[in-house]
Amino acid sequence: MTVLYSSTVTEIGELVPTFVAEGMLVFFGEGAPEELKTFCIIHRVEHKEGQVKPGDTVSIDGHSFEVLAVGSVANDNLYNLGHLNLKADGNKEADLPGDVCIAQVELPEITVGTKLEITRSN
Amino acid sequence: MADYKAVKIDKGPGGWGGPLTIKPTSDRPYIYSVTGGGIHPLAARIAELTGGEAFDGFSSSKPFDQIAVAVIDCGGTARIGVYPMKKVPTVDIHATSPAGPLAMFITEDLLVTGVKLDNINPA
Repeated sequence: MTVLYSSTVTEIGELVPTFVAEGMLVFFGEGAPEELKTFCIIHRVEHKEGQVKPGDTVSIDGHSFEVLAVGSVANDNLYNLGHLNLKADGNKEADLPGDVCIAQVELPEITVGTKLEITRSN
Repeated sequence: MADYKAVKIDKGPGGWGGPLTIKPTSDRPYIYSVTGGGIHPLAARIAELTGGEAFDGFSSSKPFDQIAVAVIDCGGTARIGVYPMKKVPTVDIHATSPAGPLAMFITEDLLVTGVKLDNINPA
């Protein structure tokens, strides 16, 4: 198994539940402007390599979800900004260029200290 | 006192919204680039034409009420709505349309998308 990306949540914005209610988790790296922090889960990126693609696995505190679709700018966002729009919409093609899609599942609770990992089985 | 000039920003191919006319003022001087990798060329171009000050939002923040225009490279969910919600005119380099939980705040007079360098012209 290859770890493509790993991070730890450091801060959770007060409007994050609004996004969770619509089945999405919006992450940003620690350099994000203050005004974005209200909406976002801020995480410290510890490791990044390679490009995320369908078939990879996103794990949140050990809850694993298969990546179904990756939007055209999602990898750029992830690598440049630590920005990830994780959507539990079950889409096999991303609606929006920033989306990373997983099955329609109930998203796990995110707390400060939550571990995010994206992996590929070899 | 800086002498500010207005620019007109049209949507690009497949884009949405606009056109926006942007003219910085001494109270709202910043061309705020909220993009990966420093000041985006679109923000630099707007700053050059208007006399506004290009500013990298990922280096530090400015209050909403000092931002003349925000330039984003948003994939369509979060940044696309954050600045329009605060009535800050917003330019997305990607050809996105309003979506996400903040879509209700996004109007054609606050957002223009798919913008290329050619779409920015003196007003």
